[in-house]
Amino acid sequence: MNAEDLDILLVEHDQDDTDLALHALRREKLANNIVVVRDGEEALDFLFCRGGFAKRSFEHPPKLVLLDLKLPKVDGMEVLKQIKSDPRTKTIPVVVMTCSKEERDLVAGYHLGANSYIQKPVDFEQFREMVKTVGLYWLVINQPAPVKGVAKVAGQGSR
Amino acid sequence: MGFIAGSAGLPEENRKLEQQIDECKRIDMPIEEVLRRRVAGAFIVAGLLIISVGFLSWRCARQASDDADLVAHTYAVMDMIELTTKHVIEVETSARTFALTGQDAVLAQYGAARGGVAQSEDELRRFTADNPRQQRRLDVLEPQIRAALEFAESMVAKRRQRQASPGPSEILDTERLMNAVRATGQEMRADEMQLLSQRRPRTNARRRLTSLMIALGTFAGAGLLALAKFAVNREIDVSARGREELKVLNAGLEQRVEQRTNALQSEITERKQAKQALAIQAEELFRSRQALETQTVMLQSVLDSMAEGLAAADEQGKFLIWNRAAERIMGFGPADLTAQEWSGYYRTYLPDGSTPFPTKELPLVRAIHGEVSTAEIFVRNPAVIGGVWIEASGSPLKNKDGVVSGGVVAFRDITQRKADEREIRKLNDELEHRVVERTAQLEAANKELEAFSYSVSHDLRAPLRHIGGFSKMLVEEFGSTLDPTAQHYLDRIQSGTQKMGLLVDELLSLARVGRHVLNVQATNLNSIVTELIAILQPESEGRQVEWVIADLPTVDCDPVLVKQVFQNLLANAIKFTGFRTAAVIEVSHKEDHGQSVFMVRDNGIGFNMKYADKLFGVFQRLHREEDFEGTGIGLATVQRIVHKHGGRVWAEGEPDKGAAFYFTLGVGQQVELKSTGAAAGVQS
Repeated sequence: MNAEDLDILLVEHDQDDTDLALHALRREKLANNIVVVRDGEEALDFLFCRGGFAKRSFEHPPKLVLLDLKLPKVDGMEVLKQIKSDPRTKTIPVVVMTCSKEERDLVAGYHLGANSYIQKPVDFEQFREMVKTVGLYWLVINQPAPVKGVAKVAGQGSR
Repeated sequence: MGFIAGSAGLPEENRKLEQQIDECKRIDMPIEEVLRRRVAGAFIVAGLLIISVGFLSWRCARQASDDADLVAHTYAVMDMIELTTKHVIEVETSARTFALTGQDAVLAQYGAARGGVAQSEDELRRFTADNPRQQRRLDVLEPQIRAALEFAESMVAKRRQRQASPGPSEILDTERLMNAVRATGQEMRADEMQLLSQRRPRTNARRRLTSLMIALGTFAGAGLLALAKFAVNREIDVSARGREELKVLNAGLEQRVEQRTNALQSEITERKQAKQALAIQAEELFRSRQALETQTVMLQSVLDSMAEGLAAADEQGKFLIWNRAAERIMGFGPADLTAQEWSGYYRTYLPDGSTPFPTKELPLVRAIHGEVSTAEIFVRNPAVIGGVWIEASGSPLKNKDGVVSGGVVAFRDITQRKADEREIRKLNDELEHRVVERTAQLEAANKELEAFSYSVSHDLRAPLRHIGGFSKMLVEEFGSTLDPTAQHYLDRIQSGTQKMGLLVDELLSLARVGRHVLNVQATNLNSIVTELIAILQPESEGRQVEWVIADLPTVDCDPVLVKQVFQNLLANAIKFTGFRTAAVIEVSHKEDHGQSVFMVRDNGIGFNMKYADKLFGVFQRLHREEDFEGTGIGLATVQRIVHKHGGRVWAEGEPDKGAAFYFTLGVGQQVELKSTGAAAGVQS
């Protein structure tokens, strides 16, 4: 797994949901490089290249962050806020996965700049469909924002 | 009225008249007085003048007369002297003659002369008695006369005796004697002449003075007369003028007297009439007094029979009415006190039971000041030891002119009511407290429910997804190795999971309705229904459904929630007409008692009306799930939304004929409260 070709950062503390999501994503063959972090703090460390991820570079951001809101330590809303308020990370697409409509309303209410909100369906078939649609859009259809300066050129060049 | 005005006018007239008479008197009096005084004065002056002139004249005349007497006296004295001397000469002469002639005739002459001498001599002495000087001369004369007489006698006597004639010597003696007599007589006459010369001018002066005085007196008298005439004339003029004025005044007076008399007469007439009227009035008064007495007695018994206390006072605060109930309630009778002292006397307190009631706020005192008021007063005095609560209503008493002339207050004993009120308040407070407690409990419970809902939505959904997900994966990845029974079980797991997911979602939706804040706006119901028919199209795929949509009004409501109502009702209609080859679904509305009633009717399976009350309960189903799928939450949601709008929802149905659902939409805060109660009522 090449960190430089990172496709998705999945922020999810529930192992079951993680497994289902990974299963769905792999089945559709949309993402090869998926990193899973289990809480908000780990997610922020990863994105801001610190702590256990200090060797990472801002030059290789994930193409998509799938963010669950209910997270230990730092909750999903805080993670979203920090991502979207820092110029180095704010161009990274973040899809917020909510468990309920209430949560979704809450996030929208804060204007935190999530790129999409999706409610995780109970039905696995629907869930799989959703994961497929999201992956297809953000990883294939959507043109990612250019990574700034030399880093961008280097990034592209290395690909 | 007229009578009162007339009698008031007459004294006024009288007074004027008397004033004028006084004025006349005041003018007349000086005229008479001055007249009298002047006349008296003039007469006194004139009298004095005349008396003094008379007196002076009299004195002058008297003096003149005296003087004249004296002159006459002097003349008489001189005559006497002359006579005496003549007599002496006659005596001498006759004596000589006789002596020469001896004739007797001559003797007679002689004797007569001799007698004349004696007589005149005596008279002379008598006449000159007042004059000593002459007396003295008489003393000289008398001897001379006697000597002459004696010589004459002697001659006579000698003749007679010798018849001889007197010789020359004798004649010479005679001549001598005679000369002496003549000389003395001459002296005496000279003296008298001197006296005369002295007396005559004085007499003349006196006479002139007398004349003057008389003239003066006459003039003075004439002058006084003239003055008197003038004065009298003047006074006559004045009094004539006075009389004239008096006459005018009298004329005026008479006129007034006449007027007055007329006035008096009419007054008398009026008085007579008035007296008659008065008699009638008195009669009426008597009758009305009797009636009044009857009424008063009646009123008193009415007042005394009242359960309410009644007191009335005039504007000075003197009690006019104080009925039996008033005395019973207040404990005391009517106080003979000023209004300011009432509160202190009856011991009235404010509702707190301890602050003295401000006297000026007492309803009766306010009533006397023209205000209508009601107050609750606590009374506690030695006569009502336990204290009495009264409710007093005061209103002003007005006289017939509408002017406030006092006040009346009605009051009743509300002690029991106050006690009840206290009890009620206590119970209310307790109730309130319990309501607060209960509300807090309910709120807590509600919060718990919300937390539960969230928990259901969030926490239950995830495991469901996992069960569903992993069973699906099991089927997909290992389905070929499983025997059909195992596959069937996995299918059952899958469908159970789906159903539970649906239940969770719908329960969540119901919970959301409860928390939803109404966003009321004008909403076109037709467009909602049209949109819903399109959305629900897949549900009736392959079926013949006839939609009968009436013109629906635009109403004030929450469009999101009302859409949910129609959605649930229409979905039900489609579902329960599923077995019909020709389904008819009708949406219409009608006005009933000013309220819009909406209806969704179908010709579906219908329901038995005895279960109608179960239709809107959560998880209540009237049909087996094998026949009609569903969670049993849809109608509960409908009811909750309708109630939230302050509306009402009900249903009519008949098995195998169809069902009709009706609802109304009231909107607003108060209806929301009502709806909450109604919802609670239904749910309990």
